[in-house]
Amino acid sequence: MKKVIEGSQAVSEAARLARVQVIAAYPITPQTHIVEALSGYCSNGTLDARFINVESEHSAMAAVIGAASGGARAFTASSSHGLAYMHELLHWASAARLPIVMAEVNRALGPGWNIWTDQTDSLAQRDTGWIQLYCEDGQEVLDTTLQAFRLAEELNLPVMVILDAFYLSHTFEPIDIPDQQLVDRFLPRLSPRIKMDTANPGALNQLVTPAAYMEMRYNTQLAMQSAQDCLEKIEKEFAAVFNRTHGPVEAIRCRDADIIMVTTGTVTGTCRQVLADLRSRGEKVGLFKLKLFRPFPSNLICRHLGAAKKIAVIDRNISFGAGGIFAQEIRAALCNLDRPPRIFSYVAGLGGRDITPNTLVEIYNETKTKPTPKQESVWIGLNQEIVGTWRN
Amino acid sequence: MNDSSINQIPLFIPHSSTSTMVNKTGSWRFFHPKFVEKTAPCSAACPLGQDIARIEMLTSWGLLKDAWQTILKENPFPAICGRVCFHPCENACNRADMDEPIAIHRLERFLGDTAVSDGSKADFNIKPAKGKKVAIAGAGPAGLAAAYFLTRLGYGCEVFEARSEPGGLLRWGIPAYRLPRDILDKEISRIKDLGVTIHCETPVTENLLEKIRSEYKALFVACGYERSITLKIQGGDLARDGLEFLRNPHPAENPSLGRTAAIVGGGNTAIDVARSLVRRGVSVLIVYRRRLEDMPAFEPEAAMAVKEGVKIMELVTPIRIQKNSSNRSSSLPDFRLTLQQMKVGKKKIAGRACVVPDGEKTETIDVQNIFVAIGAKAEPIWQSLNANEPNSLDLRHCRLIEQKIPVVLGGDLTTPDKSVTDAVASGKQAAMALDTYFEKGLDAVEKRLAACRVGAGPALSVDTYLDQDRKYRNAHIVGYDEIVSDYFQSAPRVIPADLNAHLSIRSFEEISATYASDAAKKEAARCFNCGICNACDFCRLYCPEMAVIVDKTKRRINMDYCKGCGVCATECPRNAMALEEEIK
Repeated sequence: MKKVIEGSQAVSEAARLARVQVIAAYPITPQTHIVEALSGYCSNGTLDARFINVESEHSAMAAVIGAASGGARAFTASSSHGLAYMHELLHWASAARLPIVMAEVNRALGPGWNIWTDQTDSLAQRDTGWIQLYCEDGQEVLDTTLQAFRLAEELNLPVMVILDAFYLSHTFEPIDIPDQQLVDRFLPRLSPRIKMDTANPGALNQLVTPAAYMEMRYNTQLAMQSAQDCLEKIEKEFAAVFNRTHGPVEAIRCRDADIIMVTTGTVTGTCRQVLADLRSRGEKVGLFKLKLFRPFPSNLICRHLGAAKKIAVIDRNISFGAGGIFAQEIRAALCNLDRPPRIFSYVAGLGGRDITPNTLVEIYNETKTKPTPKQESVWIGLNQEIVGTWRN
Repeated sequence: MNDSSINQIPLFIPHSSTSTMVNKTGSWRFFHPKFVEKTAPCSAACPLGQDIARIEMLTSWGLLKDAWQTILKENPFPAICGRVCFHPCENACNRADMDEPIAIHRLERFLGDTAVSDGSKADFNIKPAKGKKVAIAGAGPAGLAAAYFLTRLGYGCEVFEARSEPGGLLRWGIPAYRLPRDILDKEISRIKDLGVTIHCETPVTENLLEKIRSEYKALFVACGYERSITLKIQGGDLARDGLEFLRNPHPAENPSLGRTAAIVGGGNTAIDVARSLVRRGVSVLIVYRRRLEDMPAFEPEAAMAVKEGVKIMELVTPIRIQKNSSNRSSSLPDFRLTLQQMKVGKKKIAGRACVVPDGEKTETIDVQNIFVAIGAKAEPIWQSLNANEPNSLDLRHCRLIEQKIPVVLGGDLTTPDKSVTDAVASGKQAAMALDTYFEKGLDAVEKRLAACRVGAGPALSVDTYLDQDRKYRNAHIVGYDEIVSDYFQSAPRVIPADLNAHLSIRSFEEISATYASDAAKKEAARCFNCGICNACDFCRLYCPEMAVIVDKTKRRINMDYCKGCGVCATECPRNAMALEEEIK
């Protein structure tokens, strides 16, 4: 049934439909609506789950690690500083191979204190061993969250479902909320591969010496490498039940494009319109939506972007001293092609600044007119009245 | 639907099917925690050394009879002391550092009253009869307490009392508005129920003393100060004896008291006389030779007197009493009291400033009655007993003299503070001293009693003397800085409301009220339970090795796994644990 709900609620509805058994979370804007709804479901009996109140995000992650170690389907949600505070245990969750699902709402880190969207928080966790999926709209959020449980449980890896603050978390859209029966068919009860049992005591995750540590890490890497295929398989099963698919990436009119714009999150939605406008003017432009970031789908990137002349990557994030993070990774994925495309890196929309159709057109024009990209990322839309005074 | 087309990669994670029990973390230890119960400051301040921390713990749990019995171990009179004790315990209470002290005094009364109204019977282990009879002179608080403790120690006791009923000062000195007579009777009846014989209207004469010396194995003298000190001034014989008036302040015995009275003195007797007179409609003026702050009366009692309308004049001493001419047409009251004004001198005696006459300044007042309450002393027969004997032992609350039979002087004769609780403490000390004397001789007494001290003393514990639980209590007195105050929230002290002063002066009805049960439990729950384990269980909950084991209700530490981190001892909110270095 379709309902007009906000992106946060799409996550909550998915977690409810997934029949999660343990939820532990600590409130933080703009994530709070997600667990607020779930705590309501727990207290009014809609959801038969244990909601654990904790004093911090570090403890929230510790609690879901405990729950998942006990074989429960566990869920949490966080954002920005909360996610940063979980950092140590994000490593733990993946190395312990626990199928935890987390919703992560992209929000800028302070200072300056800022609650608006920015991807640097989740990208700073890219090496923690979590699968990362960046969503474009409310329906994708709901669907991806359901798929995330399947993905996590098949691979025994934790999954982060990522959505932009406010543009997605607080925006109301008509969203199809599937029937519980259908969800149960797609996502049956968890049969855990890891399950602590008091009747059969044991210990998990003790000391591992150099003699076995590398193999343990290689084992995780193998699981990560199979995630893309696994997601595609799960999406097929999902489509069979719900007649919807999103894909790990989406390539729109890329085949004949000279310039392909690469986007993530809600910017993709804006860019779809820009793409239509530019195409109507005869521009040979394509749009590539990157959803699966970990594992990084290098093969899909080579396949869809390899033939273009120029790639314009829009990064709503910054790795200081290096530049936009998606651009770096895309450049790295393409560099071994015989005639790799030129990679233009653009940093835009940090801390919730709007990325409008005009911003995207400006990026397209810049890419089109410049024969070669700059070594460093180009910052779009800087206020020259401020930054102009800093240069000699 | 869910059958996987992708082959599952085998999980490669550390897993051991042997439990962590194989890892005996106890081998890491170089400190070890111990459950060491310590002394609460209230207990050490109580002249009777009552186990207040445990009493409040049991009260907060609703185990009211157990709490009452815990009082009875050290004090036979909860309902009496819960009314008349000056409660130094509350001044020592650690809770005062956080908000306000626990209402220990009122809670004691609540437990005493509850036991009285429930008709509770105490179940004691009374030691097997030793076949020794002890005579006790005086059925006041000291004598009755000695009888109570001696009986529990296995002695037969007979009490000889000059007056018509037992109670001593409790009955003949403390007015009913502070200690209702039915409460007094019920508390005393518990002593009788133990098998103590009280012979009333049997003053100890020389003849009886001879009989006691030949037929009894010991004598405890707790005759009190019965003989008032008189005013040695011109016309001093015209003043009435305050103590005598207190023996029956009611109209039947003291028909006309007129409208005005002056009371000479500044002790508790003076205050009691004043407040009793107020209840008879008399305007009262207390004249006291020193300053207000020097008055030996307990401060709350004096404050109540002032609230009830008693006036106090400081720094005046009587020098003359004259009878006014009984001219019927004159409306002058019967007596004229001449007062010398005093001033503070330079010298100090026992911490109190000396006062000296302030030149020739005098003033006079006319009143219908003058009462004297400037102290009392023992009857001559007892003074003779207290001769300097070579074989005697001065204990803090009593004096043991080896004569034909051992004689112990106690109560007001020996106690440093003249209070009911100190009198009871005297009886208790006498009982312990006599028992040790019979078992091990005079030389053993001091050492044996010192081993029963609560904290640094002087209070003694019979429980310790009887080798019960308190024997293992460490003498260290827990200070507020040793309480983990994070575990406690500020909460106001709640006590039942007193009778309003303008109502209280209309009768001899009791002024203060007793707790309702829920309010008492709530107040008792404010107690930190300093130094004792109240089963809060934080030690067990916080132990990272799960090495704190609860056996029945006692906690112990599994040393195989205790790694000596000290979390338990540090987190114990009430310092009932200790951490000691381990020498390996």
